[in-house]
Amino acid sequence: MDFAVTVRDLTKHYGDIIAVDHISFEVDRGEVFGFLGPNGAGKTTTIRLLTGQTRPTSGVATVARYDVVHESTKAKERVGVVPEVSNLYDEMSAWDNLIFAAQLYGVPKNEREKRAKQLLDLFEIYERRKDHVGNFSKGMKRRLTIAAALIHEPDILILDEPTTGLDVRSSRTIRNLIKELNKSGTTVFLATHYIEEADQLCQRVAIINQGKIVAVDNPEKLKVIIEEGNVIEVSFSPTQDLNDKLGSLNYVKSVSRLGDKFKLYVEDVAEVIPFVIDFARENRLKVVSINTVKPSLEDAFIKITGLSPEAMTIEKGQVQSEKKGSVG
Amino acid sequence: MTKVGVASKWVDAFAKSFYIAKKDAKVYYFKAPNFTYGLLMPVSLFLAFSIAGQINSSLIVPGLTSLVILFGTTSIEAVAVVLERQTGTFERLLVAPVSFFTLILGKALAGLFFGLVLATALLVPLSIASGTGVANPLLVLVAIAFSSLTFSGLGVLVSVYAKWVPEAQMLSNFLRFPMAFLSGTFVPLELMPSQLRVAARFLPLTYSVEALRISMNDSAITATYWLDILVLAVFSFALFVTAAKVLQKKIE
Repeated sequence: MDFAVTVRDLTKHYGDIIAVDHISFEVDRGEVFGFLGPNGAGKTTTIRLLTGQTRPTSGVATVARYDVVHESTKAKERVGVVPEVSNLYDEMSAWDNLIFAAQLYGVPKNEREKRAKQLLDLFEIYERRKDHVGNFSKGMKRRLTIAAALIHEPDILILDEPTTGLDVRSSRTIRNLIKELNKSGTTVFLATHYIEEADQLCQRVAIINQGKIVAVDNPEKLKVIIEEGNVIEVSFSPTQDLNDKLGSLNYVKSVSRLGDKFKLYVEDVAEVIPFVIDFARENRLKVVSINTVKPSLEDAFIKITGLSPEAMTIEKGQVQSEKKGSVG
Repeated sequence: MTKVGVASKWVDAFAKSFYIAKKDAKVYYFKAPNFTYGLLMPVSLFLAFSIAGQINSSLIVPGLTSLVILFGTTSIEAVAVVLERQTGTFERLLVAPVSFFTLILGKALAGLFFGLVLATALLVPLSIASGTGVANPLLVLVAIAFSSLTFSGLGVLVSVYAKWVPEAQMLSNFLRFPMAFLSGTFVPLELMPSQLRVAARFLPLTYSVEALRISMNDSAITATYWLDILVLAVFSFALFVTAAKVLQKKIE
């Protein structure tokens, strides 16, 4: 099999901290591969290892068949990298940023302007090409960062949290772009902490937690991990924070809250429902609705990692201080 | 690899260094610290000493030029490397197919151009105003270029260590000020105690000042001048290689 990326026993230590712990996986050519995990799980460190920004403590990784340590220049020529924070030069125009990226990647002189124009057109920034990037919105900067990563027509595009901090419209635009790029044959490695994003875009997903890969499969297979009927969605009136109380009910393994609904991950639905009804009566609550639901990728993620969905939205600094031993 | 392959690899690497330097010129030349640290500081220092010591202009002008190159290039490197790491744009260079040496050379070339512009802008009016004259303009230009390259290398080396711009400026001052006093800039080497004269020979500024004094005051090409240029070239290369190694070590 011709893999776009292979990772074998890759490990990275920062002093006593193990950021990435013996991870192994492959990315097939032409697929969108999701790298899903909470902030601080080791996603960014893995990207830094794959893109030559840091060296592994042990293990091997190849990108486009080139070893990322011993043939890093060749590997870098085949990859486009979109970091979590746009790293464009604010003092330069959109056009100059793209031309500089083309120069760094050795794009022939007669091709540079043509490609820059095509990309700016595609990403709908051509009209603003002469403006300093510092004046751009977050969404425009992100689109331009992706354009800069594509200027040398890479085989593999590595994106680190491409929609974090963007509004709904910009996020949708970026996701559509990723789909289009993949259709045109680009392999996409997408690190994200948005479970829905991974579910929508990725053919396969690796779940990473505390520096370790805990599962690699396609989203639908991961969902099968949770047997249908083992998730109950219940809503009470009046709405209040009941996570702890519901979590202490018999047969309930964990609870998450989504708006006015609570998702209960249970061992046996039939056994739990009477307890939920009793619970409502004892707490003078009215059961507005109660349903069994089809498991989502989020449910699978929770089952596999043991994390609550809220853990995916905690800021990076918080997670790192809470879980010393992982750097993302 | 064939000879043509090797040559094309070097041309490609040098072209990328040049693009990095050009980009740095666009982005970082007009940052405030370059003018405060790079121009005002050495000029103020020199004026204070020249007034107090009544040094003659044939000593002042080359010394001041070297000093401006030292402060100017090390200041721009502090901004161009450290600031770039702080803002995350350095990552753009690290993920590109560019070797560490090419990257460092690109940064140093930006310093070289800055040093050339700064020194020329200072030297022309100063030599006219003081009546010093420039005996051999071409050799003066060569001396300025090698001085700029060496001090840029020093600036890059300091910058790859430092985390913040003030830290880089502080570290640079730690090297710049002793050099300014020990390299015959204010006081001719011949007038210094013998131990200090020996110490001065380990400092690149000494060779810069000496090469500029010779080329500005003497139209004949002397062996000392070329030896100064050679030493500056060796300093440059050693500083680039060390900076590239330090950068490589840092990312490990």
